[in-house]
Amino acid sequence: MENIVFGIGITALAGALATVAGAAENTESDIGSQGDPNSQVQLAPQMGYLHRIFNKAVAGEPPAYGLWIALGAGIAWAFMAMQINAILAIVLGCALATFIQGVYATTAYLGRTASLAKFGQPVFVDILKSMTTVTMAHAFVAIFTTVTMCHLINAALGHPFPLPLLGLVWGIALGAAGSATGNPFYGKERQYQTQNFGAGVPISASGNIVRYAEAGQRNSLDNGWFTAKLAGPASGVCFGLIVFLELWRTVIFEPVGAGWGAIIVGIILILIFMVIDRYIEVWARKTYGPYTKPEEVSS
Amino acid sequence: MSAVGAKPGGSAGIDPVASVVAIVLMIVMLAIMYMIGTPMAFMALIGIVIGGVLIGFGVMFVPVGGAPAAMGQAPGIATGVAMLAAGAGLAGLFGGAWAAQTTSNLLVIVITGAVGGGLMMAITCLFVNFIYVYGMGIPAASGKVKKDPITGDTQTEYKSQGTEGHGLPFVSYVGGVIGGLFGGAGGTLIYIMLLDVYEESLPAMMQAQSGQLLPIPAAQIMPIAVTLAGMFAIGLFLVNAVLAAYNITGTIEGPHDPKFKRWPRAVIASATASALVGLVAIMIVAL
Repeated sequence: MENIVFGIGITALAGALATVAGAAENTESDIGSQGDPNSQVQLAPQMGYLHRIFNKAVAGEPPAYGLWIALGAGIAWAFMAMQINAILAIVLGCALATFIQGVYATTAYLGRTASLAKFGQPVFVDILKSMTTVTMAHAFVAIFTTVTMCHLINAALGHPFPLPLLGLVWGIALGAAGSATGNPFYGKERQYQTQNFGAGVPISASGNIVRYAEAGQRNSLDNGWFTAKLAGPASGVCFGLIVFLELWRTVIFEPVGAGWGAIIVGIILILIFMVIDRYIEVWARKTYGPYTKPEEVSS
Repeated sequence: MSAVGAKPGGSAGIDPVASVVAIVLMIVMLAIMYMIGTPMAFMALIGIVIGGVLIGFGVMFVPVGGAPAAMGQAPGIATGVAMLAAGAGLAGLFGGAWAAQTTSNLLVIVITGAVGGGLMMAITCLFVNFIYVYGMGIPAASGKVKKDPITGDTQTEYKSQGTEGHGLPFVSYVGGVIGGLFGGAGGTLIYIMLLDVYEESLPAMMQAQSGQLLPIPAAQIMPIAVTLAGMFAIGLFLVNAVLAAYNITGTIEGPHDPKFKRWPRAVIASATASALVGLVAIMIVAL
């Protein structure tokens, strides 16, 4: 019984850490325009729209976070093998991984922006100075929480994978969940804030991103402020649910029916999420209605 | 200026010469393993090929919209094909590897991995629609079919002007979950096959290298076997996911997308690539 209570406690803590990680990951990626919306940041100068948006995308979020978290976890693992206290080892490992992220962000911004020189896009040194540290701070939160979560899964729940491998697995999953959930909100709702609400961006408007703020030119800190209101928390809840439910169904139901218990609970959870999704889809169709009349009526 | 406007590269047909060459190569690699490896290693390689095929086939189901989806210009999830499939499949591998500690029933382990991948996709796809509907006020609409093949909902009038559609219609959602199930199952199967081979071969190999007469305790061998199997399983996953992504070329809406008809190419390519990588993964200990 004590084991189960301990397992539930660790599961809840890992879920909470994952929630914070998802929120920080998405905000970091939106400030750095790392996800798919970077295509518009890169495209805008080519269409004649010069901007002051930070752009540090070279890899997608999943491989980038796979690298950083595996790096943080690997260094922390090495420090722990040297008998350094686990918390100190994780902090040191994550700090070093964050410096790598900072180098990556700097070279990515300089490289990507320099490639736009023939379209007249300048490299803003003040943007580099002010944005890089902010993305590094958010990256540290995301890396630290995920590495700590992996350490709990390994050390307290007894998962067989070593810490660096867990870091790679959950780093890629974190990037996948964060980019899937958060990208549309930054890409459509923030970059194209002047377009109609409640409709996709027409392909003809591609590249015409919003470049001016309430006062002066918009920069990526404004974007981080905006997306932290919905895309960040939603990504956090998404990743938190993935981690929590995966651990919960294993810790509680794995012993039931020689492993079949966890499978049945997993299938039930999938069906529940499917029903919720269908409800949301139907609700949107009814509430927002069609954009045009059905073809049969109009023809 | 957008991937939406680009014409799909490559046809849905299969190049017969290339396919025959790929199948022959795969048979050659299986034959090599049959001749030089133990029967267990041969069976493991067959398991790895099946796992690779499951991953390659599963990726075809995952609705991925890439950059256009991030602007609400195309349906699907706004990230890369290979990376999303990897995220789901590795979440499944995580669950499968955990289950392998407590049970030796292969069916339970593989299905646990499959459900882990499916659950990850079910939650991620739900949040994609959540953001579209409640964050951006946009209903889901497919750009490839007039009616959702599962629900029968009409799609055309829910597409906003100047776009190819947006969000995840129900058929895409179901496709994402099926892709996660296949990916999780494939990744876990590869892991288990490699773990069995490493557990069998590593003790003798390590003992011969160390020069000790006493057998090396299992506590020393297991972490190495688990790590090696996990690393190769992740590597094989990425190989198959990227191959399938090249086959898709850009974006795909799910099983109802015309590009889905290219799945035989993905299966053949995944089988051949998995046979080669699996051969190398087994040979590092089996020889």
